[in-house]
Amino acid sequence: MAISVAHHAQVAYKPQTRTARRWRPSGEALLFLLFVGPNLFFFAVFSFWPIIYSAWLSFHRWDMIAPIKQYVGLDQYRYLLHDDVFHKVLANTAVYTVGAVGGTLILGLLVALLLNQPLRGRDGARAVIFAPSLLSGAAISVVWIYMFDPRFGIIARLLDLVHLSSPSWLTDPAWAMPAVLIVSIWKDLGFATVIFLAGLQAIPRDLYEAAKVDGAGVLWRFRSVTLPMLSPIVFFLGVTTILNTFQSFDIIQVMTKGGPVDATNTLIYYVYQQGFIAFNAGRSSAASLTLFVLMLGITLLQVRYAERRVHYG
Amino acid sequence: MGMQTNRRTLLKGAAAAATVALTKRSPVFAAPAVVQSTGSTVEITYWGSWAGDLGKAEQEVVKRFNESQQDVKVDYQYQGSYEETAQKLTAALAARQTPDVSALSDVWWFKFYLNQVLAPLNDFIAADKLDTSDYVDSLWNEGVRKDVQYWIPFARSTPLFYYNKDAFREAGLEEGPPKTWSEFAKVAPELVKKEGDKVTRTAFTHATGAGYVAWLFQGVDWAFGGAYSDPDFKILINEPKSVAAGEFYRKSVQDGWANITQDPDNGPDSDFFNGLTASTMASTGGLVTILANAKFDVGTHFLLEEETFGCCTGGAGLSVLATSPKEKQEAAFKYIAFATSPEITTFWSQNTGYMPVRKSAIDSKEMQDFFAKNPNYKTAVDQLPKTRQQDSARVWIPNGDQIIGKGLEQILVNNQDPQTAFDNVARTLTEEAQPVIEALKAIGG
Repeated sequence: MAISVAHHAQVAYKPQTRTARRWRPSGEALLFLLFVGPNLFFFAVFSFWPIIYSAWLSFHRWDMIAPIKQYVGLDQYRYLLHDDVFHKVLANTAVYTVGAVGGTLILGLLVALLLNQPLRGRDGARAVIFAPSLLSGAAISVVWIYMFDPRFGIIARLLDLVHLSSPSWLTDPAWAMPAVLIVSIWKDLGFATVIFLAGLQAIPRDLYEAAKVDGAGVLWRFRSVTLPMLSPIVFFLGVTTILNTFQSFDIIQVMTKGGPVDATNTLIYYVYQQGFIAFNAGRSSAASLTLFVLMLGITLLQVRYAERRVHYG
Repeated sequence: MGMQTNRRTLLKGAAAAATVALTKRSPVFAAPAVVQSTGSTVEITYWGSWAGDLGKAEQEVVKRFNESQQDVKVDYQYQGSYEETAQKLTAALAARQTPDVSALSDVWWFKFYLNQVLAPLNDFIAADKLDTSDYVDSLWNEGVRKDVQYWIPFARSTPLFYYNKDAFREAGLEEGPPKTWSEFAKVAPELVKKEGDKVTRTAFTHATGAGYVAWLFQGVDWAFGGAYSDPDFKILINEPKSVAAGEFYRKSVQDGWANITQDPDNGPDSDFFNGLTASTMASTGGLVTILANAKFDVGTHFLLEEETFGCCTGGAGLSVLATSPKEKQEAAFKYIAFATSPEITTFWSQNTGYMPVRKSAIDSKEMQDFFAKNPNYKTAVDQLPKTRQQDSARVWIPNGDQIIGKGLEQILVNNQDPQTAFDNVARTLTEEAQPVIEALKAIGG
């Protein structure tokens, strides 16, 4: 963000420095500042400054009240490097991100393909699929807690019908992550579906007709027409869903509080735990900087490598 | 038609109005004078952690205080759980927007004491001529550091053993639970109810880490002869007797008669009153809600013994913030004195299940009559003289409660060997204790 802003600024000022000795604001530059200024101001106050401050905090030990923040060098990072819980948290974050992003994208595409067919009740189905993404994550999590209850939840009842016993979704470490993933995918599915649908409808029909004439079957048409034409959508959804998932907090806070025994403790939740339950501002900052670097790295990778494969038709 | 409004007439009108306002000192400008005239009332902000039945009782206490006198007006603000209250207080301190008096739980007040943001209360106690000898000694003394009072007992509780009398009767336990945990383990399978091979009722339900299992296990650990730590932060939880207590917990689940609560939010309390377990341990503060919701005959009992008896105190007290101006501190203390007065502690106790914090309240005819009618309320008070202050590892090490709780979850949920689990807990506790030990040294105890 900051890089591109600086770049634009340079472009805008260059003609000025050539014609006039002394810099004076041209109308264009003022307009530029007018547009960028408010945004930049809020970014600086609410994003850049906190990042810098938490980077600084990560070299200290502080309980968030004491007047003195004790400098500890790289101790907090060293702790994270050797801490079993933090390793587990990283692994959980990977599982959660891959599961939620993969699940949302694949299911979203399948549902979009289905809803793109001329079926009866299609519009109603679209609304139903989209609705969860408008709801508050905390509220739906409360409802899902009841649905997951292994004794009187509706899921247990349904499993009972097919003579299966319900797992202890939220209290069994093996099932807690799947439970959280189900809710997360269910919530984000609608958004992905709608975007995919828009993408599908933008694909010119003649491409399919041409493919048909060339003798391509359904699967072949999907591979050679639909997927390449959808690639900008997949890219867009990939980036946004990954970033969202990395920062997803509400569902975990309400449903599992990171438990049982850290089974659903992800990076963002760990940051919260260390910061606001253990009041360990330094360690929390070190973890949040790790999260920041990870997200930055993934985004760069995506822009670098994934975007090359995107076909802007 | 009437006068047509255009821009000129509008502006004229506005200017005229402004002139009038400026010259005649309209009521808007005079407003501060009104506020000053009621300036003799000190308004204070009070942060509490009680919702539902407990919240109603708490609001009634505040209402009675406000109606009882004219000098102080308390504004009660609910802040969420004990943890959330502590979080918000921390943020409030950073923002310099603190309340004047706050409820702080057993594990939180010490953190604020260490940072010296709690007001010493001795002068107020002396000025108010508060009869400190009437407070239950063990509860009163927990809030003292170096002879100075920082935390006054208010919503104090102990764990209780709650049991479903109907279920126990069916299992042939007319007299309630046996004396020791080992004996209970022998009869517990009788209390388990099954439909086919599906367990519909366990004999006992454990809390989760978030549900303060480390508080409930404290008494069990003591009963087995163990301890979390000594007062000087020497960690003892991985010593053999504590490990034996942990092994008892592990086996309770593995043998199939106990489980860990399926309701991470409301803990074993709701499992119990919904009839999903025949017994559990829970706070006395849960008594009102449990009695109101249970559709069976509820029994309360002392915690079970093993080598010896063990039970700790818990709950919350009230502290005054050092950041408040003197007159607000005085006012805040007046509220604390009122809220813990014999009359109010009686009301509070009867409506919540928390223990009366005043000896005279416990001995009063009103309370004794109440106990006679509601024997379940009496169990906690009878148990009180046998209780002890919790080990430093849980209450004074930052996050100690959750660190121990997670170790217990490893044992209960993951079937981890207790020695391994507690070795890990001990290592973490020892590390986390260091800053506290240093801070204590810095402020001289």
